[in-house]
Amino acid sequence: MNNFRGGYCGKQLRVSLDSKKIVKENIDASILRKYLGGAGYAVKVLYDEIPKGIDPLSSGNKLMFATSPLTANHIPGGGSIMLCFKSPLTNAWGESRCGGNFGPDLKKAGYDFLIIEGKSKEPVYLVINDDSIEFRSAIGLMGKTVSEKSKIIREELSEPKISVMCIGPAGEKLVKIATVMFEHRAAGRCGAGAVMGSKNLLGIAVKGSHKTLIAQPEKLTEVTKTCLKILRENDFATNLKKHGTTGDMAANDAAGDWPTKNWHSNSWGKAEQLYNQFFKKYLVKNHGCYTGCPIACGRISEVKEGRFKTPVHEGSEYESLSAFTAFVFNENIEAAIYATHLCNEFGIDTISAGAVIAFAMECYENGILKKEGVGGIDLSWGNPEALPELVRKISLREGIGDMLAEGVKIASERLGRGSEKYAIHGKGLEAPAHDPRSGKVLGVAYGTANRGMCHIHPLEGMAYDSGKMDWGLIKYGVPDPNTVDRWDEKGKGKIVKILQDALILPDILNTCKFFMYCGIYIDHLAEFLSAVTGWNIDGQELLKVGERVINLQRLFNVREGFRRDDDLLPERMKQKPAFGFYENEDRCIIKDYEGMLDEYYQARGWNTETGIPTKEKLLDLELEE
Amino acid sequence: MKIKVKLYTILEKYAKGKVLENDTIILHKDTTLQGLSRCLNIPDNIGIVFMVNASVHDKNYRLHEGDEVKVFSFIGGG
Repeated sequence: MNNFRGGYCGKQLRVSLDSKKIVKENIDASILRKYLGGAGYAVKVLYDEIPKGIDPLSSGNKLMFATSPLTANHIPGGGSIMLCFKSPLTNAWGESRCGGNFGPDLKKAGYDFLIIEGKSKEPVYLVINDDSIEFRSAIGLMGKTVSEKSKIIREELSEPKISVMCIGPAGEKLVKIATVMFEHRAAGRCGAGAVMGSKNLLGIAVKGSHKTLIAQPEKLTEVTKTCLKILRENDFATNLKKHGTTGDMAANDAAGDWPTKNWHSNSWGKAEQLYNQFFKKYLVKNHGCYTGCPIACGRISEVKEGRFKTPVHEGSEYESLSAFTAFVFNENIEAAIYATHLCNEFGIDTISAGAVIAFAMECYENGILKKEGVGGIDLSWGNPEALPELVRKISLREGIGDMLAEGVKIASERLGRGSEKYAIHGKGLEAPAHDPRSGKVLGVAYGTANRGMCHIHPLEGMAYDSGKMDWGLIKYGVPDPNTVDRWDEKGKGKIVKILQDALILPDILNTCKFFMYCGIYIDHLAEFLSAVTGWNIDGQELLKVGERVINLQRLFNVREGFRRDDDLLPERMKQKPAFGFYENEDRCIIKDYEGMLDEYYQARGWNTETGIPTKEKLLDLELEE
Repeated sequence: MKIKVKLYTILEKYAKGKVLENDTIILHKDTTLQGLSRCLNIPDNIGIVFMVNASVHDKNYRLHEGDEVKVFSFIGGG
């Protein structure tokens, strides 16, 4: 028996690949009360267990699959799994979320967390079925795509519906932008696939028969009913279902939130046309990433014929389509869909892939890369033929792909000759498809995000600055966004502090971030959490947990040598766009980024010179005795 | 004056009963973009970006006969 009234299984599964040792460990409830789950509990474990300075692709790294008390198909937004690790792209804290049924099924098998450590001598995959844990040879999976691997595993196990997460060929080749996939959903960012590949672990299959206890089932039913009603009546939920995340392409282009041609501009004027093509011609239907999602914003699409013919598949989402159109200046939507699909099959991150191709195109334009050095591919801006070809080369580390597989930071360091200024990243993680010049909250968020330049930590500064969304946080100190000018810099550092503390909570509770756009706020999450665990938790306590987790992730990075100087924005990201709707807009620059950082550190209680949390702050957060 | 107006995603519903089938709306002379927004009953607390004849303008821009206006807001996500 464990000490939990509900929400948790109370157990974590530790799998040592060196020795093939498996340990089922009880979890201390008092630690979970402080860190809850997901990226919160994971940073506590990994901060304590990963030694300073290890190579992220060595056996010393650990890969955690983390659930939370809210990981369950019946909880609105409850179908996610968090993967946490030291990132090979950044050498810093790495985390990546994946939608799907893997998380709920890990809980059904009786485990809140799965900790993978060591390295197997031979390629293996892991099968978890309640108490039965089995290693199987993965020799037959080597080189197979994600769909092929999932199919083979299910056939070998005679389990057609078992949840499978696996890496593609890119993860096997230690491509640093490699993903871990659940079907065509990705734990995409920070190179989780390379970490899994470095351990010779090619896949994990999980199923179970347990039911996690609910402390207060009647209260849970009541909160669920309330939230489902909110979702049914919410315009954002209706539109997410109809248009998916791709539905904002035209709006973001108009708002100057659509990085174009490797960040030469933040608008292009092409998004409406591209989105209309996608919506009218290639979108098949919407799709929920996990069973039971009441929104189902995922896209199913198909290119029926032509040189970019793509089968019916899950994708593309906003970031992917933007990466393979605007980033690379490509107007061929079919090529973008096909390239996205290939990324998902080879197992590489679409955002980083688009960014690294844009980087290569700029190097090509400036003579740093030449046709004969890139396998004869024409890397001119917008060449649609180059996209699938480079995705394949990167994934398999062929030719020029071997260097690009390292990500833009390392690739530019190797290339030199001024290519560093074309490498648009934060801490080594390639920038996603939102632009801070037109909304300065995002600038501070990009610079200070613990996992590197990231579009969802917090949940999009642009949604605050331009979208005027407040996520129910005005009562917790966030200024009403309608009183805040998106062009202003003053005050943005303080705002980011609160937004980060609050909007990391979906990563700690493994709930879908998009539900927060649709009216499910942290007070609702607190009610859910209280109902399932029996703990009496309110929004204020959740904010404190969020702050604690951000600080511990920061300490993870500080231990690795990260300081204020690493909270950088690339110069291009601060300069007026070279073309587009905002080329003559004088406010479309970041003038005083350092001033915003000062304000942010002060709000955080961090040393403004070093960016290190102060002793007082750590005592306040119970991170130091 | 007659102008063309197109509303996107979460704003589409505000066209009902106001914008004619050919995307036309009749407004008083010198109406601003903010005036258009109010005429359409778009709540003030929704973040909006206006484009007029393929250029971005703020809410104080005065409309002219024949202008083509696009009004965007944000679903979120992505």
